Amino acid sequence: MKNTKTEIRFFSIPAWKKEETYLREQHKAGWEFVLVSGLCLYHFKRCEPKDVVYQLDYNPDSTANQREYLQMFRDCGWEYLQNYVGYSYFRKAASEMDGTEEEIFCDDASRLDMLKRVFVGRMIPLLALFLTVIIPQISLQIHTPEHPVMLGFFCVMFVLYLAMFILFAIPFLNYYKSVHRK
Amino acid sequence: MQSEVISIDSHIRKVYVPMTETGFYILLCLREEAHGYSIVKKTEQLTHGEIKISPGTLYGSLSKMEKDGLIRYVREEEKRKIYRITALGTQVLELEMKRIERLYQNMREAT
Repeated sequence: MKNTKTEIRFFSIPAWKKEETYLREQHKAGWEFVLVSGLCLYHFKRCEPKDVVYQLDYNPDSTANQREYLQMFRDCGWEYLQNYVGYSYFRKAASEMDGTEEEIFCDDASRLDMLKRVFVGRMIPLLALFLTVIIPQISLQIHTPEHPVMLGFFCVMFVLYLAMFILFAIPFLNYYKSVHRK
Repeated sequence: MQSEVISIDSHIRKVYVPMTETGFYILLCLREEAHGYSIVKKTEQLTHGEIKISPGTLYGSLSKMEKDGLIRYVREEEKRKIYRITALGTQVLELEMKRIERLYQNMREAT
């Protein structure tokens, strides 16, 4: 029987809650998360099935103050695992929590702050690329139609980006609403 | 204490009045020098274990409050940064205390 496994999972930008659940379910099923690398490759090793809570934080400011940041989580009993594309991965065994389900955020204001940080760090650069490269290129290619291939390329990019924004916007809004409604 | 009059600008007012319960306890604890984890412990003690501040919330609040000038960094001890409330922070805290006091009084009168 193999003692390690690797799975490919793609989680869209605002779907870190799903990712946390995925890692927790794996641990419950006897697969301890080792690391995530490359293009969404999740590595696991076999372990005793256990209920372990996984949490992701996105805080670009933390890289400048990493020692303090990690110490704060360590003090509160959270094990730091790694950083992957700006997200910090933490875990804590449910048995170490005193009866209540702990999270790395304890109020809605800070949950919304995390959402805003993800939006600024992730969505704004994509939007900027869209507005400063793709849109101007399309209008340029339409006015100087010497390269129909280029026009086609940028039109495909336009559709891809638009689809991506819509796909990101839906879970984003759902999460925003769920935090506000609670 | 020297009475320094600092005007609380609209941004600070919007963000911190009223403030979250976590934010209130952070400022309350920082009337004395303290690092993050000691704020967690003290708040837990003050609320008889009712409020356990999470590290993500704590880190976010401390960096926001430092940026807004409500608290300031004092020194580092064993990888832990020690902070203290500023004059502006004290003003904001007092404003909140008055608001909560009024809330409490009205609640008492209503029952």
